[in-house]
This record gives sequence, structure tokens and C-alpha cells, in this order.
Amino acid sequence: MAQFQHPLHCLQSVQRQPTDLLIGSAGQRIYSYAAPTGQRLDVWPQNVDSASLESAGASVTEEQAPPEKRRKLSAEEKLDKPTWSTIPILKVSPDGKHVVAVTAEDKSIRVLQLNEDGTLRQLSSRTMAKRPSALALTPDGKTIICADKFGDAYSLPLIPSTDYVAEMQSEAKPYKPAATSLTVHTKRNLESLEQQMRQAELKAKKAEEKTALAFEHQVILGHVSLLTDLICVPSPTNPSRSYILTADRDEHIRVSRGVPQAHVIEQYCLGHTAFISKLCVPSWAPELLVSGGGDNYIMLWEWTEGRMLQKIPLLDSSEATEVIVRGIWEVSFAQVAGMDDPLRAILVALEGSSQLLCFTLEKDSTLKQQLPIQLSGNVLDLVAIESRNAIAVSVDTVHQQNSTDTWKPSVESPQMLLECLQAENQVDGLHWNPSPDPLAGHIASQGTTGLGEALDDKQKKALAGSLYSLGNLRKRSWDE
Amino acid sequence: MATPPPYKRQKREEYRRQLTNATTDDAASVKAPQKRFFRQRAHANPFSDHHLDYPLSPAHMDWSSYYPAFVDPDASKTTPDGARKLVKDVEIVDIGCGFGGLTVALAPLLPETLMVGMEIRTQVLEYLNSRICFLRAQQQHLKNKAAATSSESPAPAATEEEPVQKTSDKPADEAGTTTAVVPGNYENISAIRANTMKFLPNFFGHHQLSKIFICFPDPHFKARKHKARIISESLNAEYAYVLRPGGLLYTITDVEEYHHWILRHFQHDPETQAASGGIKDLWERVPESELEQDPCLRVMKFETEESKKVTRNKGNKYVAVYRRKADPEWPA
Repeated sequence: MAQFQHPLHCLQSVQRQPTDLLIGSAGQRIYSYAAPTGQRLDVWPQNVDSASLESAGASVTEEQAPPEKRRKLSAEEKLDKPTWSTIPILKVSPDGKHVVAVTAEDKSIRVLQLNEDGTLRQLSSRTMAKRPSALALTPDGKTIICADKFGDAYSLPLIPSTDYVAEMQSEAKPYKPAATSLTVHTKRNLESLEQQMRQAELKAKKAEEKTALAFEHQVILGHVSLLTDLICVPSPTNPSRSYILTADRDEHIRVSRGVPQAHVIEQYCLGHTAFISKLCVPSWAPELLVSGGGDNYIMLWEWTEGRMLQKIPLLDSSEATEVIVRGIWEVSFAQVAGMDDPLRAILVALEGSSQLLCFTLEKDSTLKQQLPIQLSGNVLDLVAIESRNAIAVSVDTVHQQNSTDTWKPSVESPQMLLECLQAENQVDGLHWNPSPDPLAGHIASQGTTGLGEALDDKQKKALAGSLYSLGNLRKRSWDE
Repeated sequence: MATPPPYKRQKREEYRRQLTNATTDDAASVKAPQKRFFRQRAHANPFSDHHLDYPLSPAHMDWSSYYPAFVDPDASKTTPDGARKLVKDVEIVDIGCGFGGLTVALAPLLPETLMVGMEIRTQVLEYLNSRICFLRAQQQHLKNKAAATSSESPAPAATEEEPVQKTSDKPADEAGTTTAVVPGNYENISAIRANTMKFLPNFFGHHQLSKIFICFPDPHFKARKHKARIISESLNAEYAYVLRPGGLLYTITDVEEYHHWILRHFQHDPETQAASGGIKDLWERVPESELEQDPCLRVMKFETEESKKVTRNKGNKYVAVYRRKADPEWPA
């Protein structure tokens, strides 16, 4: 019997010669496809045979709770057996030559070279202090900006320079507590201070300072909150300047200058009433920002001014449920059947929903809601394929529509990991029709990797947790 | 069977109940709150989601109940939620104001400037609120009395200035009870519960503030807890956002290591000074010579509750004051 396959968690499209590519992550691996045909070009890491995958799959759940922390392995070992279960973040550099991936459990940022024939080769792997929660590349494509759960954002060169020497702690300084007998006043604190001093003397010989990250990096900004998204955009008025927009769990959107002046905060966009999960600055309207999160609205901003232009409800006021914005994407098609102007649309996916909401940008800089797009499963990610006026949407083939915990009763054949839809303007609005491209069909027939036979509840939960984790950002309610 | 709350807590609750009831009575009978009923553990976790109230944005903040004397007479000016606006913006913030020693002592020095103390601990804040409430009521009472006496005897002008002198040579009690009418009548100070590490930009807009005080911050001695310190490079960027160019950020601590931490995180520590760029672009240290004339510094050094405690214990006080520079030019 066929197995359920790992859905494509992240998708990225690469426009370049000779062929456009589609890069996707599913489970532990990254796949590269030729965009027009859907032919699979490479899988990374390659030498994960199905046997070792099975065992890795079995250990996935153990790694989930509690996740293994800070595993340090040599480069060879890493390739032999992936120590991660998912690849939650995937980005392609602006020139299309590199893929940046974050592997979940080992908190590593991996830079892969994307060769002309679509093959992938790992160039570097850098383990961060905390698991990266968002990642962006600067507009020039030379620097990675990465945000973590601790609220810090780091900048790292895309290609680490070889001559970087890690700043070593010059010499292990003798331990000296910050408190002195002048700063502690109670008897108990004084006693514990004395105890600390005694302990310090004992340990003095093997005092080992925590080693810093052994590669070039810089903390560029920080929030005292979990960072949920980060984007790096050029200034709408002066393309030589760039800005960094960061969003956090405490409803803030911060606008800072780009590196090396990221400590200059220019603006805040305040208005959300729950955590923010996604930011999107459309390339065709760089002065606008669309943001969404856990508060049932998406907001349109003039971000350089911190001014809210529009607040669009995602639900009817009658509905009492809470939704979370999973993704916001911009699409721009030069020529769409039945339209005079180019199509400029914002697509919004909600966590665990099989509908894709569609908004078009009107001439007065407002978003107009169009008919929603219905898919066969929950939307995970999407990419626009400009040359065909189409979008490729990766859908969850494992869970039932609009559910994040109920599995489909049986394996569908073929499992449509991807759906391609083409835009068409009709009298009653914008429609998205199934595209005749072979892309989706071909990818489905090749599949990804199987999830294994008969997963237990724990493994199922782990998979759902890795695909749908935004709900964890919600603050606990305090109604006592 | 549920165990009854400890005797201490019972007494405390009883006391506070009486206090809240009393404030509703006439101004003359308001008693000064006593600190011992408001003690709270000195630490709070700045990362946890406390049940906090904070405005959606600075424009949404309703300050009218905090500064009733400064509410704009024009009732048509309102916040987006319909609250009345003030005639001026809050300009001075005491971050981690504790029992409010600094806020209260600064009030008469800058009577026309609105100041707010921000504190994360509820009980301590409750004390400060009752303290301000008491001081305002007392001022009202004194003013009424002065008005009554001045109508009998002439020379009412002298009453304003002379008593101020008196307060300085007479030790005040812990709540700062005075027998004099002070400039501003404590109408210019207030206190709010807030986690400024997370929500400072919700209260104050770009370049709104002229002074920020951070006095005797929680030292978080363990290296593991350093992330919770209220001075850090990333927070200094946020302070620079709310502080106007030329504005001052005052820090004082009795922990030498923390003082060096502060210098380091403003990148002014001679040992680890960065080559260029970074947060250093935004701040310059104010030299000692300039600080000598600053009355706010004297208040910070000698009149906050913590500084009195440090003086009693003969501890050291380390001061560092930074001036916000103008934003640097964009790199070419």
C-alpha cells in the first residue's frame, strides 16, 4: 500500500537561465525541480537511503520532545545522517545561485550552492545560539539576516570568509561575582555570596568560558520578545538604502535601517492586537506593507510613516473563531486574460485552512477582496510562476481539509503535493483555474519521501507540530 | 480545609482596603501610605506575559486620568478611543521607579514637565499610586489652608517660596509628607504598571522624551540572567527611538560590574571599544564636569529610595549619563 508522503513545507522559485527551478523542502530533505516540467533534478541530502530514513523517522519523535540540543558533529557525519526532522525555512538568494535553509533541531543555517543543472551542494553550515525563527537576505544578496526566538537578529555573510578567526576569550578570567558585600544586604544573600566565592575558588582551575559562535556574525538588533518574521527591503524612495522590518510576538512591527545601521529605529507600525506572524512588502508597491497574525485581521501600512491604511477582517464578525495568518504572498502578472492592467495581488493563507484568500491592489492603494481559492488540502506555501500567470501551491496531503490533526482516511493516488492555478479575469471577478501545466502532476508522480507505515499518535502529533506551529505563539489567556 | 492566609498578608489586605476607602473621603483625612504593607520580591521576569495593560500605540494612550490637572480644556480633542487629551506630552520617564523616590523628588524641580514612573511590580506600584494620591490631596489641603490664612493676613506671595526652603532642611518621612505647597503640587507626576523592556514604544512616540532615568536596575547577577538586564545594546536602540536628540539617559547603580556592563553596552568602555558604527553612533557620554550643575543628578544620587539605602550601607554609586545624538547620516 502506498504511504503518505511528506508534504512540501516550503517552496521557492528560482528564475534563471537555462531553466527556471522550483525548490521545495519536505521532511528532512530539499528537492529541486525543473519548473516547467516538474522533473526532479536533485535531492539533498542525497545519501539518506530509505533504511536509515526509517530509523531516523522513528527517532524523530524522540527528538521532538525534548529536542536534542546543540549537537556538534563534523561535516562528514552531518551528511551521513540528518540530525533534523524538518526544514522549516528555505530561501533562495536574489541571484538564484544559493539556497539558504534552516534545519530545525540542530539550529543550523545551511548554505547550499544551486548549480546550473539544479543540483545542490552544501557549502557551509553554521549553528546558531538559538533556533532561527525567520531569515532574510539583504537586497544585494551578500548577507543573511536571521532572527531567533530570543528576539535577537544577526547578520552573517552568505559565504563565510575563510580568514575569519573566532574571537577567543583571551584568557579565562578568574571568576569574580558581580555582587559584593556592599551590594547584598540580607544575611542570607551574604551567606550565599560567600558560598559562591568558595565554589569559584574550587572551580577556578577548570573555569571554562562558553565559547562564542565560531564564525563571523553580528547582533544587529533585538526585541525583548520572540521574533516571528523579518524582511529586508529597499527604501521605496532611495533604492541604495535598505530597511529591516521585524515583527514580534508582542504585536510590534519595527522598522529599522539596514545593516550597518540597524540600531537606528525609524518607525513602529502598531495596531495589531495579537502576535504578528507574517510581513510582506510587495516588490511592485515597495511603500506598502501587508501584515497579519493572530488577530483575525490583515493590515495594510505605509510602513515608512507607521501609518495604517486599511484593516481588513478575515472573518465575518459573526464567527467566534480565531484564525492565524500563515502566509502572505505577493504576485504580479503582466498580462492576465480579461484584464487591461497588470494583475497585482496579495494572497493570504490561514493556518490549517484549505482556502487561499485573494486581494487585489486598487488604484487608490487599497486592497479589494476577491473570490477565495479553494484547494484540495491545507495551504502550506506557494510560489508565483510569472511566465505562465500561475501560482504553484503546496498543499497538505496528509491532513483532512481544514484540520490540523485529523488524517485523511486513505492515501490518495496520486498525492497532489502541488496544485497549479492560473489567473483569469471574468465578469464577476478574478478566478483561478487549474493550470494544464505538467508541473504538479509530474511532481506528484515522483513524490517525496514516505512518512512510513502506520505512524503512532506521537509521530502524527510531531508532524502536525512541525507543519502548524503558529498557534503556540498565542498568549495564554488570563481570565481567572 | 484551606489554610488561612498568613497573618501578615491578612493585615496587609486589611490595611489596603482601608486606604482605598479613605481616599474616597475628603482630602484632609487622607493618610500617607506605609511601605511595609506594599513590599514585594525585588525581581520580576521581564520575558513572561504578565497580565499587562498597555495602549495599542502612543496615540491611543489615555493619559487624562493620570494627569487630571493637565487635561486639555478643549473637549473635542480626543484619542481614537474617545479619551480626553492633555495639553502637553509626557517627557520624563523613570524606568523601574520602584517606590517612587525619584519621581516624587523630581516633581517640584520641573513643575511644568509631565513625568511618569514605570514599574512592573503591582504592589510597589500600588504604593506609589496611593503615595501620589496622598501628596496631591495634601497639597490641595495646604493650598486651601493657605488661601484661608492669606485672606486674613496680607503678603500671600511669600508663602509659595519660603516653605520650599523649609522642606530641604527638614527630613521628610518615607512618603514625602510636607507642610509646604510645592511647585506643581505633584500634579505633574504619575505612575503606571508596565514592562518597558517590551512595551516602551506603545507608550511613547518617536523623540517624545527629554529624559529617561534608570536607577539601580535589577542587577541580575547570574550570567544566565544577563539577557534580562534593562540596559543592553538592543534596548539602547529603543531608548534612542523614544528620546529626542539632545535628551539624556541617566543611569546609576551600586554594582560595579553592572556599571561596566552599561559602559560596554553603550560602547563607551575603553577596554572593548568598537572601531566604529553600532549603537555608539547614537549616544555620547556626558562628562562629569557638565553633570555637576544638573539638579536631577543630585536627586538621583541622594533621594531615590535605593540610593538612600546604598548611602546607609556605605556602598558605592556609579553614575553614567548619556546624551542622545542626532541620527547618523545614512551610509553613502
